[in-house]
Amino acid sequence: MVTKGRLKMALAAEKGTDFKKLNQKKKAKEASKKKATKEVVEEKPTESDEEEEEEEEEEEEEDVEGEEDEEMGNGVNLDAIDDSDTSESSIEMEKRLPRKPKKDQKTQAVEAKPNADDDEDDEEEENEDEEDIPMSDLEDLSDAEKEDLIPHSRLTINNTSALLTSLKRIAIPSDKSVPFATHQTITSTILASEAIPDVSDDLQRELGFYTQSLEAVRQARTKLRGEKVPFSRPKDYFAEMLKEDAHMEKIKAKLVEEASNKKAAAEARKQRDLKKFGKQVQVAKLQERQKAKRETLEKIKTLKRKRQETGGAGLGTNEADLFDVGIDNELAKYDSRSGAGRGNMGGRNGGNQKRQKKDEKYGFGGKKRHGKSGDAVSSSDLSGFNPKAMKAKGKVGKSRPGKGRRKAMASR
Amino acid sequence: MAAVYKSLSKKDSKKSTTTDDNGIKKNKQRVLVLSSRGVTFRHRHLLNDLASMLPHGRKDAKFDSKSKLYELNSLCELFNCNNCLFFEARKGQDLYLHCSSVPNGPTIKVLAALVHTMEELHFTGNCLKGSRPILSFDAAFDKQPHLQVIRAQFQRIFGVPQGARKSKPFIDHVMSFSLIDGKIWVRNYQINEEEASKVKSAEAETDATKDTDLSLIEIGPRFVLTPIYISEGSFGGPLIFSNKSFVTPNQVRSDMRKLKATRHNGRSEQTRERLSKKGDLGLRSNIGHERQSDGTDTKMLFA
Repeated sequence: MVTKGRLKMALAAEKGTDFKKLNQKKKAKEASKKKATKEVVEEKPTESDEEEEEEEEEEEEEDVEGEEDEEMGNGVNLDAIDDSDTSESSIEMEKRLPRKPKKDQKTQAVEAKPNADDDEDDEEEENEDEEDIPMSDLEDLSDAEKEDLIPHSRLTINNTSALLTSLKRIAIPSDKSVPFATHQTITSTILASEAIPDVSDDLQRELGFYTQSLEAVRQARTKLRGEKVPFSRPKDYFAEMLKEDAHMEKIKAKLVEEASNKKAAAEARKQRDLKKFGKQVQVAKLQERQKAKRETLEKIKTLKRKRQETGGAGLGTNEADLFDVGIDNELAKYDSRSGAGRGNMGGRNGGNQKRQKKDEKYGFGGKKRHGKSGDAVSSSDLSGFNPKAMKAKGKVGKSRPGKGRRKAMASR
Repeated sequence: MAAVYKSLSKKDSKKSTTTDDNGIKKNKQRVLVLSSRGVTFRHRHLLNDLASMLPHGRKDAKFDSKSKLYELNSLCELFNCNNCLFFEARKGQDLYLHCSSVPNGPTIKVLAALVHTMEELHFTGNCLKGSRPILSFDAAFDKQPHLQVIRAQFQRIFGVPQGARKSKPFIDHVMSFSLIDGKIWVRNYQINEEEASKVKSAEAETDATKDTDLSLIEIGPRFVLTPIYISEGSFGGPLIFSNKSFVTPNQVRSDMRKLKATRHNGRSEQTRERLSKKGDLGLRSNIGHERQSDGTDTKMLFA
């Protein structure tokens, strides 16, 4: 028991310092945040008492569990060794360090209840260090808010000195002492995370990468030119490419197809617009035609009236006026323009070609039956009659030989 | 005879950096590129793309084990490689990359996501096979030691050393690494040089710099790397960095499933509540509590 007494003393000393720190921290936290959770408030005054209790419990357990603890202790020791490797790690790890000697000396199980408390303390420490939200607050959050949280369950390991040593081991020299061509590495001056505020915005993100690379290429080119290193490939240098020709052909085909698709779409859209617009044009045209017709008729009327007014006093008028040539001209003009097809197609307006064709095909105006049968007009039509042919009838008949002769000719 | 001559003349070829005649250390790298079993086609294509971009690389058959990664060290030694790029596929969907410098570390383990390979037709660029890339790093790679280590490692693996055996003499592509939200985005562009337009060339002449216009065309592949840890040794040794905010894809998937499950659970809970409520009303005879039969009940009165 004497040894244990010493042990306890040492432990108390150690823990005492530890908890002073803890207390200070918690006070500072309270002062800054001014909102302490219930747990913290309850713990604060009773902490020292609790601590002593914990120690007593630990002792009792040690007595009881004796051998088991030693076995379990090996695992703990291994942990401790691992941890001590990262002796110069970041803050969290350093915070944990003062506790380790205790574990080593005592070789105690981690599973014991007081140690569970310790773990909680550790978690609290971590939370404080990062100014995260304490776990007790997390429970109050709604489910939707909880989804956004990233659970920080694992420890941060960031062993700066070890990182730097391994960096020194593998680094390819890329400072100014060596020519640029040996490493061809450019670290930009712009932080990508600042240039690209929103990662999910594809266009902006890709633009950020593009500008970063372009800047790097510009710098690299000047540097390489300065070192007389060939940069751009001459046109007559052919070599194996990263993508084979077949693949590039495919890419080209795809580009062509895309372009043609785009063109076709544009064309279709244009056509649609035109169709919409074309109707208006047609209506306007019809109206214009109507207007022209009205004007013409008006003109004819005025001319006729003028004619009547002037009457027989034809001394001042010229020949054309005398014989109403003006009116005839006007009428002819009108007829030739709008009423050309009127006669032949049963009084239809000949303006619409499609209609005309359809009328021809399916019939419009009058019956088509007996169209080829003779009637008074056709029988009186003697245009196809040639009297000379009638007179030369006898000669024509002679040209055909008799039957026997024809047979003989065929057999020959 | 030739082999003997070679072995004699290349006595010190094993060193990664050998001293040149003029005192400059020569950069010699060789990379072993291989994958584990169980990679998908996309992972395999990515591996092929990267391997074809690395003239100093050596592609090997699939490695059979996922637990005994330290065996890769001897494999690398066998192939005279001082770097190793190991593609580890898990569950036939997640791809982890191990970038290691072989004899004595470090090893970087990253998760590769959002992989687009060179096969895809919207990457229209092309470049010489084996030309040396310009490596463009984001400014963030200067800031923290673990990022510096990652940069150094990428320089060794993706940067083709000068005078590598199958490398081509001109520079026509650039690889960019940018760090956003703790993830490293990797892009590969062709450098496209065009004759400057006439108006511009007139200006250029006044500036006395006759430069062609530079533009970039993406070649591919593109992918995003999330650092997971850096260990001190090669495929082993203590961890010297681990990314606390890394969430495994398994976790992500399970969270998604749970989210869906909570929706369903909530709905079924509601149904149960509704049914019990109806039962309480006593509107139906078969659900919930039976009505108390008393003397005024019809059945009792006219029994």
